[in-house]
Amino acid sequence: MTLMQSRSARTLVATLATALIVATPALSAAQGFPTQPPVARATQAPVAGALAALGSPPNPKVAVSWDRFYDYSGLVEISRRLAAAHPNRVKLGTIGKSTQGRDMVLLTVTNFDKGDADKKPAMYIDGNIHSNEIQGSEFSLYTAWYLAEMADRVPAVDSLLDNYTLYIVPTINPDAREHYFHRANTASSPRTGLAPRDNDGDGRVDEDNLDDLNGDGHITQMRRRNVNGRFRVSPEDPRLLIPILPGEQGEYDLLGQEGFDNDGDGQVNEDSDGGYDPNRNWPWRWAAQYVQGGADWYPGSLVETRNIMDFVIAHPNIAGAQSYHNSGGMLLRGPGVPQDEYRPQDVQVFDQIGRIGEEILPGYRYMIVWKDLYTVWGGELDWFYGARGVLTFSNELWTPFLYFYKQEQGGGGGFGGGNAQNRRYQTTESRFNRLLLMGEAMVEWTEVDHPQYGKVEVGGMKKNFGRVEPGFMLQSDAHRNMMFTLFQTSQMPLIEVDSVTTKSLGGGLTEVTAVVVNRRIAPTHTQQDVENRISRPNHITLSGGRVVAGFVIDNPISGDATEQEREPATIKIANIPGQGIVRVKWIVSGAGPFTVTADSEKGGVSSLRSR
Amino acid sequence: MPATRSLGRAAVLLAALALPSGAQSRPTDGYHTAARLGTVLDSIARAKPALVKVSTLATSPGRRPVHLVRLGGAEEKPALLILAGAYGPQVSSSEVALRVVRDLARRHGSDTSITNLLAAQTIYVVPRLNPDASEAFFGALRHERKGNDAKSDDDRDHVTDEDGPDDLNGDGLITMMRVRAVDGEWIPDAVDPMLMRRADAARGERGIYKVLTEGRDNDGDERFNEDGPGGTDLSRNFANNFPWFTPGSGQHPFADAESRAVAEFVSTQQNVAAILVLGMQDNLIKPWEGRRVPGIAGNPQGTSAGGPLTAPLPEDNGWFNEVSRRFKATTGWSDGPATAADQGDPLSWAYFHMGRYAFGSRVWWPGKAPVDSAAGRRAPTPDPIADERNSYRWMRANNPAGLVEWAPANGVMIDGEQVEVGGFAPFATLNPNAAGLDSAATKHSAFVVQLAGMLPQVRVDRVRVTEVGPRVYRVSADVVNDRYLATNAAIGARSRLPLRVKVEVALGRGQTLSGGRKQAYINALRGSGGRETFEWVIIGDAGSTVTLTAGSPIAGIVTETITLRAR
Repeated sequence: MTLMQSRSARTLVATLATALIVATPALSAAQGFPTQPPVARATQAPVAGALAALGSPPNPKVAVSWDRFYDYSGLVEISRRLAAAHPNRVKLGTIGKSTQGRDMVLLTVTNFDKGDADKKPAMYIDGNIHSNEIQGSEFSLYTAWYLAEMADRVPAVDSLLDNYTLYIVPTINPDAREHYFHRANTASSPRTGLAPRDNDGDGRVDEDNLDDLNGDGHITQMRRRNVNGRFRVSPEDPRLLIPILPGEQGEYDLLGQEGFDNDGDGQVNEDSDGGYDPNRNWPWRWAAQYVQGGADWYPGSLVETRNIMDFVIAHPNIAGAQSYHNSGGMLLRGPGVPQDEYRPQDVQVFDQIGRIGEEILPGYRYMIVWKDLYTVWGGELDWFYGARGVLTFSNELWTPFLYFYKQEQGGGGGFGGGNAQNRRYQTTESRFNRLLLMGEAMVEWTEVDHPQYGKVEVGGMKKNFGRVEPGFMLQSDAHRNMMFTLFQTSQMPLIEVDSVTTKSLGGGLTEVTAVVVNRRIAPTHTQQDVENRISRPNHITLSGGRVVAGFVIDNPISGDATEQEREPATIKIANIPGQGIVRVKWIVSGAGPFTVTADSEKGGVSSLRSR
Repeated sequence: MPATRSLGRAAVLLAALALPSGAQSRPTDGYHTAARLGTVLDSIARAKPALVKVSTLATSPGRRPVHLVRLGGAEEKPALLILAGAYGPQVSSSEVALRVVRDLARRHGSDTSITNLLAAQTIYVVPRLNPDASEAFFGALRHERKGNDAKSDDDRDHVTDEDGPDDLNGDGLITMMRVRAVDGEWIPDAVDPMLMRRADAARGERGIYKVLTEGRDNDGDERFNEDGPGGTDLSRNFANNFPWFTPGSGQHPFADAESRAVAEFVSTQQNVAAILVLGMQDNLIKPWEGRRVPGIAGNPQGTSAGGPLTAPLPEDNGWFNEVSRRFKATTGWSDGPATAADQGDPLSWAYFHMGRYAFGSRVWWPGKAPVDSAAGRRAPTPDPIADERNSYRWMRANNPAGLVEWAPANGVMIDGEQVEVGGFAPFATLNPNAAGLDSAATKHSAFVVQLAGMLPQVRVDRVRVTEVGPRVYRVSADVVNDRYLATNAAIGARSRLPLRVKVEVALGRGQTLSGGRKQAYINALRGSGGRETFEWVIIGDAGSTVTLTAGSPIAGIVTETITLRAR
């Protein structure tokens, strides 16, 4: 063990030295991640004489550079600044502590001067459930920032914040986000959270992690020269290895990801930190690990999962949700498994929103998890819809389409197909790297001493390439993704008492008729909600007279109506459909005026007085 | 659901007969309130501090502790977990668990078999998982409450606990009520007219009664007692086949502290080899029949494409059958009531999700009543209310206080008809008297000892060292499991949650391993002498030693020092 450590230390020093010598100023910026968030200095005045570009706040109170990623403390700092600069638009809170005790920071964004935030119809947004899928956090924050900075400037933003609330949790996996930033990782690690787990069944936890052999902050590949190896250098790009064909001579072995056998069991990197999938831990259609890898021990075994469930159950005003992942350019809805079924009425709503999303986000496709991607038991979006009746998407951010604005096959963070496809995809990545990034995404192969394999070469793509946008594209994708989120938000149910009319029935009795409308696409209650009575019904209440009888009008032409015998002053309506109308009437003792109030958990509150 | 926790059939008792009264004892004799349970457990622990540890596994919403008792020496040995009292009304299960603890603790030290057993095994006992619900057993008003003290909206009308049962006849018991109604669906049974059963329209029968839990429609929603006090029925809050949106099942699996504490305990306590659930599910009288069930689109169940298993693995059948045979031989029981559905229950969860051998006992039920041979008293076959008829006849012969005869509740009317109250006394079909408890406890104690003795235990056998050449030795050894149960059930090997048996060699100074594996695993080593042979070639000095370690938390871990010399 000591021998191994001293060897690796030497390797590290040697590699760092090499890096210092060869690195040019242009390339060095991305070598590591800043520990302190480089939020632009507020002291520096903006350059005068600028013409505002549309879609961006011209002179934001909180200046944030959206061309980079922020670690946990950076996210918290930006959140604090937003709440401090926009006290009536953004409030800072927490939904609970993570496994390691970090706050799961919550930004509540709405117009706090109008109405009760927790009574307005709401969208829930989170990012970073998979800890390596980092840009969901920046995109979450960008959304809060854009709304706060554009309020009082763009009327549509004001209208949105007057009527709706957004609950934004930028990272729901803060512990492992820190791991991704400050420890060496691949583009696909850690993915898990950091509750310690025994992945290889040897009775020990987290004892054989990835190891950063060349000390560059990235876990890349290891290769070893071997004339009997099964790989050779690609003729298209000398930095890529390709599998040999029959009759070809091999040049290299590929030895997997950087690391050694830390625990002496003959396996490399087989029990890294954590070891589960936070997006397989949700109780709806949860399945044990032998059915669904990463499920962990039992549904809700992770405190992060429980914190979110508790928050959502305590906020029945949440009507829609989006969870930001990467990658592949997918706007996913459930179900995650073919055994499950989304109600057809709800599918219509998903379809309408999803198709607009495809238009907003070129190269992104609206898809169904089990059918178009793969089977997922115990996914977050299925709990939101199945258990809470909330219309929920998972946004798989970044798509290889954006490399050259062409649909690319394969890749996309490992969702790709066979070898030929992968090879094409690797070539595309490599061309993009050379033609648009000056080669910065690639760690050149360098030789290091490996305690078990001997001399190996380490190199490959950096962790911040392949699944996240390069800096110059980040804000663009953040904005488009936000607009998809805001489109869904704008289509969450919003009810309004449209008219209250009265007719004297003689003998001191008045018939009061109220029309209540929902002008948005989403219903006040999804069919899943209606069938399982998840949210309380909408209440339409008359005040201003003694109610003798109350009715739901079934057919305004024939006048057919169904009486509600119990508590007739408050008519209970199971659902007001999207772009739907409900008519109710009362026989009231009194002449008015009367006030009708419609109160919906997910559709807001609206009142109107009769004339 | 009327009557007892009805097992797929619906029937209610109607007792128009004059029953012999004069039961001397009270139905709570021999039972322990939550507070008394704690006191008794503490006193057992005080008497044998080296053997018995009592801790708090969780705290209920009613601020009552859920106790965890640990029997055994300081080390964690292969363990049996006994889980009782998840279904609140079945207080008997909790009392039997308590008596098993008391019995084993008392015999330890004087009875060598028990002393040896608890030296080699650990036994964990959760005697009462739902102390909040069980407390209703001791209340001034007795009713079979299932939920803990969390508030709940059983009828999903978005008001909590607003319509519970009411004691209409003032007897301190919540039983059933019946009322004549033109839209009633119930009729008195022809053979035992005190029993009510659903009218069968196919046979030209017309219902004349409504049968409901005793009480009023407190919230005026035209439903009776549909949302009483009490939250989660913890016997329905486990994750296997969880009944969503069902009264008492909870917001989601493990939403409640009590059930989640069990999930966390079994997930992290790696030495739990088998779980015995004293509850409403049985697989000891009638063993599970594992079989292959085709999953979605022909994919095998137990895979991502085929979905979760809905039936146990057939590879485990032989063991379930044999343990059942031994249980019946030990208890003398051959027949019992049907098992309750495996929805959100701890038993099926223990097997399907935790990958453990899981056994369920119904603990106690009214025995087989004598057949009433009087003319015209023959029950139909098949009998749609067989269990209820048997309980009724047994109760009439053995525990008349367990029956409340139908009688008008003064002045209580529904739709102009007089309400009559009657039925089984609450708890009577699930909880015996003190003598019955002791008898059930003796049987279960004997079975627990037997089951603990079946837990896997590995040892190293047939160590052979051959000198192949100078300083070159071939070493082989067997790893053997002499006990009855395998080191993992087939489900455990499949699930990989319970650890496999690890076989590991540690070399001494100057030795090298030339052949064989430094670390090897056995997914499941069957019992009754199941063995696997391992071989290594080691280069080292004559007389030097290597250390062989074999085992798992479930099967015990043994170490053997092997000397390199020709034998």
